[in-house]
Amino acid sequence: MSTEALLSVSNLTASVDEKTILHGVDLSVRAGETHVLMGPNGAGKSTMGHVIMGDPVYTVNEGTIAFDGADITELSCDKRSRAGLFLSFQAPVEIPGVPLSSFLRASIAGRPGLEMRGKEFRRRVKELAAQLDMDTAYLNRELGVGFSGGEKKKVEMLQLLLLQPKLAILDETDSGLDVDALSVVSRGMDAYRASCDGSLIIITHNTRILEHLSVDRVHVMVGGRIVREDDASLIPWIDEHGFESFEREAADAAEAR
Amino acid sequence: MDALTIRNASAMPAPTWGWLRMNDTKIEIPVELAREGSVTVEAGEDLTENHASFEGALTELQERLDAARGDAEDTRACVRAAMRETESLDDLDTPALSTYQRRATLEEIAGDVAAAFETGVHIDVRSYLNFLAGNTVVLATEQGEDAAATVRVSGVSGSAAGASVDVVAAPDSSIDLTISLDGNAAGSDVAGLIGSELRVFAGARSHVDVTVYMTADAAFTAIDDAGYVLDEGARVNVRHIVLGGGRTYTGLASDLRGDTARMDIDTRYLASGAEQRDFNYIIRHRGRKTISNMDANGVLTGTSKKVLRGTIDLVHGCKGSEGSERETVLLANQGVDNKTVPTILCDEDDVAGNHGATIGHVRPEQLFYLGCRGLSQEAAEALFVSAKLEDAALSAPDKDIRANVVRLGSALVDDFADFEEEIA
Amino acid sequence: MAKQRTEVADIDRSLYDFRYGEEGFERLDAGLTPEIVTEISQRKDEPEWMLEFRLKSLEIYNRMPNPTWGPSIAGLDMDHIVTYVKPNTDQKADWDSVPDDIKNTFERLGIPEAERSYLAGVGAQYDSELVYHNMQDTASKMGIVYSGIEEALHEPKWEAIIREKFMTLIPPTDHKFAALHGAVWSGGSFVYVPKGVKLDFPLQSYFRLNAAGAGQFEHTLIIVEDDADLHFIEGCSAPKYNVANLHAGAVELFVGKRAHLRYSTIENWSKNMYNLNTKRARCDEEGEIEWISGSFGSHVGYLYPMSVLAGRRSKSSFTGITFAGAGQNLDTGCKVVLGAPETTATVETKGISKGGGIQTFRSSIVATPAAEGSAATVSCQSLMLDDESRSDTIPSMDIRAKNVDIGHEATIGRIGDDKIFYLMSRGISEEEARTMIVNGFANPVSKELPLEYAVEMNNLIKLEMEGAIG
Repeated sequence: MSTEALLSVSNLTASVDEKTILHGVDLSVRAGETHVLMGPNGAGKSTMGHVIMGDPVYTVNEGTIAFDGADITELSCDKRSRAGLFLSFQAPVEIPGVPLSSFLRASIAGRPGLEMRGKEFRRRVKELAAQLDMDTAYLNRELGVGFSGGEKKKVEMLQLLLLQPKLAILDETDSGLDVDALSVVSRGMDAYRASCDGSLIIITHNTRILEHLSVDRVHVMVGGRIVREDDASLIPWIDEHGFESFEREAADAAEAR
Repeated sequence: MDALTIRNASAMPAPTWGWLRMNDTKIEIPVELAREGSVTVEAGEDLTENHASFEGALTELQERLDAARGDAEDTRACVRAAMRETESLDDLDTPALSTYQRRATLEEIAGDVAAAFETGVHIDVRSYLNFLAGNTVVLATEQGEDAAATVRVSGVSGSAAGASVDVVAAPDSSIDLTISLDGNAAGSDVAGLIGSELRVFAGARSHVDVTVYMTADAAFTAIDDAGYVLDEGARVNVRHIVLGGGRTYTGLASDLRGDTARMDIDTRYLASGAEQRDFNYIIRHRGRKTISNMDANGVLTGTSKKVLRGTIDLVHGCKGSEGSERETVLLANQGVDNKTVPTILCDEDDVAGNHGATIGHVRPEQLFYLGCRGLSQEAAEALFVSAKLEDAALSAPDKDIRANVVRLGSALVDDFADFEEEIA
Repeated sequence: MAKQRTEVADIDRSLYDFRYGEEGFERLDAGLTPEIVTEISQRKDEPEWMLEFRLKSLEIYNRMPNPTWGPSIAGLDMDHIVTYVKPNTDQKADWDSVPDDIKNTFERLGIPEAERSYLAGVGAQYDSELVYHNMQDTASKMGIVYSGIEEALHEPKWEAIIREKFMTLIPPTDHKFAALHGAVWSGGSFVYVPKGVKLDFPLQSYFRLNAAGAGQFEHTLIIVEDDADLHFIEGCSAPKYNVANLHAGAVELFVGKRAHLRYSTIENWSKNMYNLNTKRARCDEEGEIEWISGSFGSHVGYLYPMSVLAGRRSKSSFTGITFAGAGQNLDTGCKVVLGAPETTATVETKGISKGGGIQTFRSSIVATPAAEGSAATVSCQSLMLDDESRSDTIPSMDIRAKNVDIGHEATIGRIGDDKIFYLMSRGISEEEARTMIVNGFANPVSKELPLEYAVEMNNLIKLEMEGAIG
């Protein structure tokens, strides 16, 4: 295990309802790097993000997840968040009765360096909203309730900028389909990289989101396994050829097992 | 003087097993309360000087209903059953009715709007609150008029204060009524009582919005008793925000008498400490294609208790009607007691009724989402409590009511002052 | 033009509606007195404690009020109900020894046939007494006891167990008709499944009330020991009279640790019956009770099987259907007490009302403070087949534990015209289309029944649906 890695996933096997989704996955991300996790639908990419974040739906059967020098495999998700990990959701869940502003305040409460007094908090949040071109009226609305796809995305990016995590995993599997969402995410990523030089893992099967982004490593996942790792040059290749060759190889490998 | 006790209050129309202790409640009016405290009505003169009356509106509606009534003989099984003197098994095609089913059938065939009028809590509560109020304020709109009014009841320890209001919305008019039931104990634990009695006639195609904020301190008993009658195409939106009060009773009965009338109720409540919340909603669909929605969302903390009775009654003849009710309750503490009875009564086939309840902890997907943002389960539950107050403050109709919410919030949540500073 | 409405002629229930005389039967006087109760006890040559229990129950009965929340029972005049009718035979272990009338009754109901083909044992009660009881050798070799409860009471080993359990789940103070049952109970089955024993074939009890103006008060006591497994089926029917008959049985089920009991009932009493039956199960740690319940008959029905989940991780499921036709007021549902950590309960019910019938679903889910980590879901659907019938849904929940998950869903409505139209456009008659849809609606219940009973249930639905189109 590399000591300088910020995130180090080794031999991770995870399952849900006794069905194994991830098979001995390794992944290492150093501070400041931008990684891309690609693969066809159902490859286990989103699961990967959720397992790194500690979603209790999944059971880790084997392997470890180390973050910022500590083993976090057994930590609950709130502790991982406070350790500096962030996972964006395809869409935030709806929580009726909880205004967005109340939720945001609770999410920074007790975080050293982030906690703010009332006025300061409002000012900061409004500033970020302006940066994302988000109507501040949403701050008083119930979290997620009646938000459009673009607005939900803005809420996720707002949190990314507010919490300034050391590593953000952006699950953008569906974003490629929506031009507005795509531009929100791009703006969010730029601002995040500019403000705190954090690390990124972008989960996607669509390369458009990666334009104008300096990518360090690309990982291709098929059938719950990382089947290929390379530098950014792999992106245009995938753009052209898709995932078929990886899927074929994976099928052959499965037969050989 | 002994305490005045009103039994069988907020009773659900069709009772269930007595041992559950959900059928109704007992309201104890604290002893020796002075009849004082302030009740103010803020409304334009045009609203209070109109000569329409609630009774007059019912009479006029009754005349129209009677004129439209057919005189065909009603031979339905329930009618035969309700009308017979004694029960006998000679006629095996006539069912035995429960006490409630018999009363409902007789009421349905009588078709008498005034006789069927009810409020959600109790007729004795109506008398008591009318006595406290001294006189009933009538807020009546002119046809096509848009109006607004605010009623504030501010209780003080050791006293009882009540408001009595009739709303008569003329056809095609709209009225937005806010009722604030507040009691500031100012640190005292001497009992007090506040309440409001409301009768609403929503005329044809009128829009009536009613918002009630209950923000009393724990020493207070608070009663919100209301009855609605909706004429054709009327739309009524009710918001009940119940945040404080040691014993609170919210009762609403609604008669959707006119075709296509619609009633939406949004209830948000919080109970903390040893507080008790009691809700009784009765929605009777009588007109065709009427719609009702009841939505309740609450949080219970401390050792608080809550009962919510919600009854959708799809009365024979209300063809094409839809009623639905939904409740979500978060139990944030071991030691709370949550009772829910979501009832649907149905005597018509071309209708849709549905209800749902979700009771317990924060849903797993919500908990994971909040966890990903650094909130532990305890922090998530605390968020639901403070959010209930913050949401109420953010959507308060005016600054006085917002101040009441903030007063209550500061007493319940540690750093609520921070929020106060933020929204100031 | 107004749509033609349901017009229900008296349904042909000849399958169930036949009766025989009572020559040679012994009837006690109608009404309820300590003398009658004492006589019942003496005829049965019971232990002294049981007589005392009966007399105490009678006292409780006399001072308890009638229920005020449910269907009227004013038509039930207790002074005219005969609480004890003994058929002209003792209990037999082979059908040939059973008198012809009674044997023919059960033949027509298909009981001996069922016994031959797929049951591990059968008990048949006629009026107040069991007339037949038999179990296959394989089951008795496994150590399973299935006998008349009165018979078991005469064996010291079982008497001690019965005394310890009898009417502890359903105490006479529970409600007026539980008290009545305690006073005049007669007949019923006793089942004991030893530890670890799993019976592959069901046992069945069938209750037939032939006598007019009589009551049937059988007591069923089942003990399924730790790790054991049993499926018990109960059937009931009666011919129709124009006087009130009363059924106030009691079923007490004790489910041991990790044990499993499925209790299936198809109730098809005649439409002059007041069915005020009480059923209750208690589950120990990881024990599981499954209720399958079909209610078709009776003039008035009060039936709410109750599960008391007393042991950690114990489970209850209830699947029920109630069909109320003309003249019926059936108030049915279930009760669950989540009384230990991590217990789970599911309730799925279907209600149908037609021809002026009234169907009420009533339930209670109570989670005590001990129920941390428990979950319950209730789902209830009601179908209105015309606008003269009635369907009420009155569920209640009392939740006092943290970290629980309680969900409730209910819907009410009628068969969509689009569905009828679709089927009719494929050449199916309206009556047939409605029957198909109603059968589909009932499917979640019928699929839980052994095939033969599912067929019986579908036939009952078909009978009820006949003549449904004007």
